[in-house]
Amino acid sequence: MINVLLITFLITLFFIAIANRLMTYIKVLAFQGVILFTVVFIQLNDINTVNLILILMETIFFKSLAVPLFLAYIIKHNKITREAEPYLPNFISLIIVTMICVVSILLVNSIKDNELDKIFFVVALSALFTGLYFIISRRKIITHVMGYLIIENGIFVLSLALGSEMTMLVNIGIMLDIFVSVLVLGIFTNRIGDTFEAMSVDNLSNLKD
Amino acid sequence: MFGYYLIIVLLLGIGTLVNRNNLIRILLLIIFLSAQTALAFYGFSHLKTSELGGNFYYDSLGILFLFVLTILSYTTIFHSYLYLQHRKDDSRNQSIYFAALIILIGAMTCVYLSATIGVMWVVIEATTLSVAVLIYHERTHLTLEATWKYVFICSIGITFAFVGIVFLSKALQEANSVNLSFSDIPSHLQNINTFWLKLAFIFLIVGFSTKMGLFPMHTIAVDAHTVAPPPISAFISTTLMNVGFVAIFRTYSLMSHTSILPWMNQILLLCGFLSIFVSTVYIIKVNHLKRMFAYSSLEHMGLTAIGLASGGIGYFAAILHMVLHSFVKASVFYQIDQIHRVFDTYIINKTGGYFSKNLTGALAMLLIFVSITAMPPSGMFVSEFLIFRSLFESHNIFLFVMILILLTMIMWALGKNIFSMLFLPYDEPGGKIVKINPWESASQFVLLSAAIYLGLNPPDAFMQLINDAVMLLHK
Amino acid sequence: MLSFILILLAALFFTGVINRTKSILSGRKGPGIFQPIKDIIRLFKKGMVYSNTTSLIFQLAPTIYFSSVIMAMLVVPFGQSKGFISFHGDFIFFAYILALGKFFSIIAAMDTGSSFEGMGASREALYSMFAEPAFFILLGSMALLTGQTSFQEIFATLHLGSPISYALAVLAAFVLGMIMMIENSRMPIDDPKTHLELTMIHEVMILDNSGFDLGLILSAGLLKFSIYGALIVNLFIGMFPYEYTIPMFFAIQVLAAVITGTIESFMARFRMSHNAQFIFALTSVSLLIFFGVLMLLGKFI
Repeated sequence: MINVLLITFLITLFFIAIANRLMTYIKVLAFQGVILFTVVFIQLNDINTVNLILILMETIFFKSLAVPLFLAYIIKHNKITREAEPYLPNFISLIIVTMICVVSILLVNSIKDNELDKIFFVVALSALFTGLYFIISRRKIITHVMGYLIIENGIFVLSLALGSEMTMLVNIGIMLDIFVSVLVLGIFTNRIGDTFEAMSVDNLSNLKD
Repeated sequence: MFGYYLIIVLLLGIGTLVNRNNLIRILLLIIFLSAQTALAFYGFSHLKTSELGGNFYYDSLGILFLFVLTILSYTTIFHSYLYLQHRKDDSRNQSIYFAALIILIGAMTCVYLSATIGVMWVVIEATTLSVAVLIYHERTHLTLEATWKYVFICSIGITFAFVGIVFLSKALQEANSVNLSFSDIPSHLQNINTFWLKLAFIFLIVGFSTKMGLFPMHTIAVDAHTVAPPPISAFISTTLMNVGFVAIFRTYSLMSHTSILPWMNQILLLCGFLSIFVSTVYIIKVNHLKRMFAYSSLEHMGLTAIGLASGGIGYFAAILHMVLHSFVKASVFYQIDQIHRVFDTYIINKTGGYFSKNLTGALAMLLIFVSITAMPPSGMFVSEFLIFRSLFESHNIFLFVMILILLTMIMWALGKNIFSMLFLPYDEPGGKIVKINPWESASQFVLLSAAIYLGLNPPDAFMQLINDAVMLLHK
Repeated sequence: MLSFILILLAALFFTGVINRTKSILSGRKGPGIFQPIKDIIRLFKKGMVYSNTTSLIFQLAPTIYFSSVIMAMLVVPFGQSKGFISFHGDFIFFAYILALGKFFSIIAAMDTGSSFEGMGASREALYSMFAEPAFFILLGSMALLTGQTSFQEIFATLHLGSPISYALAVLAAFVLGMIMMIENSRMPIDDPKTHLELTMIHEVMILDNSGFDLGLILSAGLLKFSIYGALIVNLFIGMFPYEYTIPMFFAIQVLAAVITGTIESFMARFRMSHNAQFIFALTSVSLLIFFGVLMLLGKFI
């Protein structure tokens, strides 16, 4: 069942690659949050209540509700046009995302480690590099934030894969940090939207030698 | 004690944020400085004890940089005050500025003293967020751009560092340990899958290099320098880079007992050399005073990384170099604030004849030039000499020669620009003459002479702290 | 043998059901279910008109196209029963015999010298090119999963158990369904309702065909639909006995037709420039199927 969910997660990456509208991106991000929650729910059987609430907060509340709503608000408030405006055509994006996926499968397959749950690893690496690719290849600032969120989702999967046990304090800290950085990024996006006519990274190239 | 310190910092931060009265603000800042000093001395007298359930730890490396931070907090807060008075900022902006500054200093203190890698990750992100507020202080298009880039790339960098931590914990899991504290990890890393360690090291070094301003992610620190208020530039260039250095040093010391040590050294040498190379390329053509010194910081970080990678006396030299660089580079940016007030620009071509306009400041600048290029009697001469010695001893002759050539070019470029600013006759069109109080340069002279003193005749306690820190690598 | 008859039967009503669904959904009564067949029979009774600029290829092409589809039909199995022809690697034969027919219809379209038909031909070639890797990766992973290399053996030994195999089967059905739409130039790719030459793909290629030839091409289209439908059905019926599978076959075919009709009633056609990426997405999805199969086999854990 987890495998099915993770493959669905990979398909959402492909879907983002060919999506045209920002709202689609937001919906996919929210959907990814739901997928992650389900994965965690199945994966962690012997989880205590506090941790469960924490993860529930992080996936359902932050990833699926708060952040998408906040992004939608930014788009509406700044009157950002609904197209994503990539530098490259979607077709090439799709090929590149597929390549990323295949390369991470090959890469992970070369790891000699029997205890490792490799599908988590594949999904995490694909999401990581797909997020980076979106940051590089999209013109709008808001899509950079979305790329960052995809990276975050990938890392969430990664930490599930390796089953890293962090202490409570660190867990809360990580969650807050991510939330606050998204918030701060969002606020600055708003500022950029107020300051410049169009929210494009072309405005942000004045600092150079 | 540390718990009280955190509470005090938070309360003072909130207090400064809501307070609009100038006198009370000064009072709060004085309270903060005394708390900071008290913590530094308390930590010094309680070396090797941990606090807050083992999450924070007074070790020699942390205490050393905590002292540097404490000293620079005094000067930075003082110069920030001057800077804000001259900008005639309204009270609200001043409150935000100082609140963010207090939180930033508190977060950096936490980084130096954090005992587990997870806690360190969390507080490093806190430094990013608080310094972002300060970089954005002037509220122009350029500051917006720089802040955006800084926050965004630092967030991505810190995410990479998190991936590194996850890989590290994976490696530890195979060794049946889930404790991520710096003191416990090395004992578990003896017979471990080096594949995970290498992955962890790569991700951690890329992530933390956003903070240290080392090669792969150096650009954002340079951009942030350009637009940040000069006292904050001083912080970004010194204590915040120390944060990155502490993070990288701790990562390095964790893994220095495993078989991947030669491989890590190769990576660090590469990062260091490329940092120096990039900084040479840019410093020659750059015409912006702050950017020039930002690239100079990049060069010194490269030298530190090379010292770390060369081993032997290089470990000692790297830490010494970071400390001395902090003092020198901080005074550079305090002085730049005065230069900006005199010429109203950072563009070097539009300045000149600084000696006739501000004699004390010009003398300070001359001393700065001597110190930053590591000419004797500058303390950095000692540390750079030791770094080169370790590089020579580790049989990297080719790299040694290359770096010397690059450093000569950097020295030439710095000299050309600084001397043209100091001595070249220059007629400004407006003719508005700004008087600078000579006492404002006092802090620079103090810091620069401290750098000379620490380099040439280091006190025993100081040597002891550095040697203790180096012991982490030799266990 | 069984599959041949079943596909023929399904072809009789498949397009009719689609049309009927669309007319009901748009509030019309619509033609009878067998109207497409009646049209084809009418066309078969007519003579042909050839343009003076065309050559022998144009006259041969419809026949070759039709016979290629019949040939492809011969290898499609039905559950345990083989098709007329069955040998190792027959799915490659299946794909390339269809490609041969398509090749002839493309060069026939080029032969007319009409600019519209050339355009349609180029699009058809492009889309089939993108759809081909998806088909092969899909069937390749099926072959890998079952360890067999012919259609009949693949489908006969394919059985579903774990959740992931169900997920893979659903994904495979999706990919096959989409390939079916591409091959027949149906909705998300091409809209058969629009009669604007600029936007058509398949229809524009047969503008110059008439009478018997046109009838052949249209009936080949009907058959193609039910061939792909049969492939999808085969994914699921594997082990069941005939008394269940035959009703299931018709049920799934009708369901596929109704779904197609519904989609066509409610969706707009993709922009021409988005088609390529959509079709390539199928390849990406089938790569995921391949990856899932590797995982099922334990070659990748």
